[in-house]
Amino acid sequence: MFPELIDTRPLRRAVDDGLSWVVRNWGGELETAAYPLLMLLNWIERLLIATPWWLFIAFFVGLAFMATRNWRLPLVVFLGLVFLGLMQLWRDAMITTALMIAATLTAIVISIPVGVWMSRSDRVRQMVTPVLDLMQTLPSFVYLIPTVMIFGPGKIPALLATIVYASPPLIRLTDLGLRNVDPAVMEASRAFGTSSTQRLFGVQIPLALPTILAGINQTTMMALAMVVIASMIGAGGLGYQVLQGIGRLEVSRGLFAGLGIVALAIVFDRITQAYGRRLQERIGVGEVR
Amino acid sequence: MLRKSFVATALIGLSFLPAGVIAAASTSAIANAQDAAACGTEKKIDIAEMTWPSAAALAHIHAIILEHGYGCSVEIVTGDTVPTSASMISRGTPAVAPELWTSTVEEAWEKGIADGIVVKLGDAITDGTVEGWFIPRYMQEKHPELKSAEAVIARPDLFPDPENGDKGRLYSCPPGWACELSTSALYEAFDMSGKGWNLFSPGSGGALDASIARAFTREEPILFYYWGPTSILGKFDAVQLDLGPAKPDVYACNTDTDCTDAPGITAYPSSPAIIGAASWLPKEAPAVAAYMAKAGLSNAQISKLLVYGDENKADAAETARNFLKTEQDVWTGWVPVEVAEKVRAFLK
Repeated sequence: MFPELIDTRPLRRAVDDGLSWVVRNWGGELETAAYPLLMLLNWIERLLIATPWWLFIAFFVGLAFMATRNWRLPLVVFLGLVFLGLMQLWRDAMITTALMIAATLTAIVISIPVGVWMSRSDRVRQMVTPVLDLMQTLPSFVYLIPTVMIFGPGKIPALLATIVYASPPLIRLTDLGLRNVDPAVMEASRAFGTSSTQRLFGVQIPLALPTILAGINQTTMMALAMVVIASMIGAGGLGYQVLQGIGRLEVSRGLFAGLGIVALAIVFDRITQAYGRRLQERIGVGEVR
Repeated sequence: MLRKSFVATALIGLSFLPAGVIAAASTSAIANAQDAAACGTEKKIDIAEMTWPSAAALAHIHAIILEHGYGCSVEIVTGDTVPTSASMISRGTPAVAPELWTSTVEEAWEKGIADGIVVKLGDAITDGTVEGWFIPRYMQEKHPELKSAEAVIARPDLFPDPENGDKGRLYSCPPGWACELSTSALYEAFDMSGKGWNLFSPGSGGALDASIARAFTREEPILFYYWGPTSILGKFDAVQLDLGPAKPDVYACNTDTDCTDAPGITAYPSSPAIIGAASWLPKEAPAVAAYMAKAGLSNAQISKLLVYGDENKADAAETARNFLKTEQDVWTGWVPVEVAEKVRAFLK
């Protein structure tokens, strides 16, 4: 056993009292600050629930067809969504989708600028990378319970937790994509006398777009992976059904809701991937074999 | 020595006598005081440490007394109501569940007792458990009319839902717990959705605790389901709302997913929290069973235990040691003098 060199209790008490202090004095302000996120999520959720099911299915089947010009993916999407409807999981699936979309949108807005910044400075990269490691490995309940104490239970902490968990791959892949743009291309653009902003938006980002899209795809998947955890702090949706199933030993309920999450994941994963591939072909950076 | 105690307990093992009778029978049959202080079994006694603090502390208290007082070989295993009771009923392990809320697993547990696989050794909480709807005391002081559930339900504006400001919010129970069914049934029976309320599920025990801690820290209004004895009710000054009389048959229907009657209004019946054990334990270790039959604590004693743990950031083992050190009057009554001496010697 490691010798007890210091008494950790005062430290632990200080952390707990500090959190109580923040909750007492800043809880209201922080909650107001997060209000726009809640508005975004509620708006998406209301829109999705108000959309008739056939319109929703038609929209995503159409999207899948546009992405592949092929009947196979649309069929998969159709079957996945019909499964959700048949299993009486439609409403929960819409709540989950809303959470996923809101988290992904927010993650995109935050992550891409951070990724750009990281790619332009090694120092920033050195500082951000350990933070990303922390975000991906810290057990989520460790920061969830304090977030619930600060923001109150429900959608805000669920959304924040999902963003924390889902942003790192997008940040990493944005950075990677920008750094991997062919030096010769950069050299050439510099020779034409472009400014650094022109190079970023005209050359680097378009060339890195497939990698960035892969990052968005990963973020979507990670956001869906968080739905069960998010339900544990009051977000509702498919994850809540899973929790109920586990708690009551109703294996069927847990299994169907779990398969529902898989169906959603397949729909969104395949559609975003298909668009990524089309984009690669269009800008001619598809793998040259 | 071994044979004698075996005969005595074989008789007890055959008929499922109440715990008090087991204690009396085994002490009278075993005249030798040495027997009463010996563990009696070579088998490892595994004690379930449940996920909530009171049960965890009780598990450690029993573990210390059994290991250092009776000289048993003891192991603590983690558990929770449903998995632990299921494992006790099907495989006879863990041997002891120091705070088992049998109302959650009533049918299976009754069947286990009837089949002779498990027994109830005693009550873990002597004066019954508390379960119901609570509001903070400062809310009642501001609005003295908020005494009963009806009075609170008439005022959803006092307990606004942050995600939907026009409505009130009732914090329900985590999903899958039996209290989720009973609380949802009451929500329906009171027609709370028609009276401007949302039923909010906090999703997990941790999130419910955090929400309550947040509301009390900020002196905000909150209407929540909770149960005791718990450190939350020990730490925060909450008052229980009057839900009227407890009607066991209405409650049984409310918590049964197959019952088709409309949910009715009833208070939560006090649910029994027992010390459950695999039936081999009283057969092979009668002295231990006799001790367990007496080892019940009151709500106030358990709350005190939990508040110590909470304020001193002590884990369950430390809370248990502190209890054994400071509350000697309580636990020395459960065990023979020699055992108490041995435990005291260990604590020094």
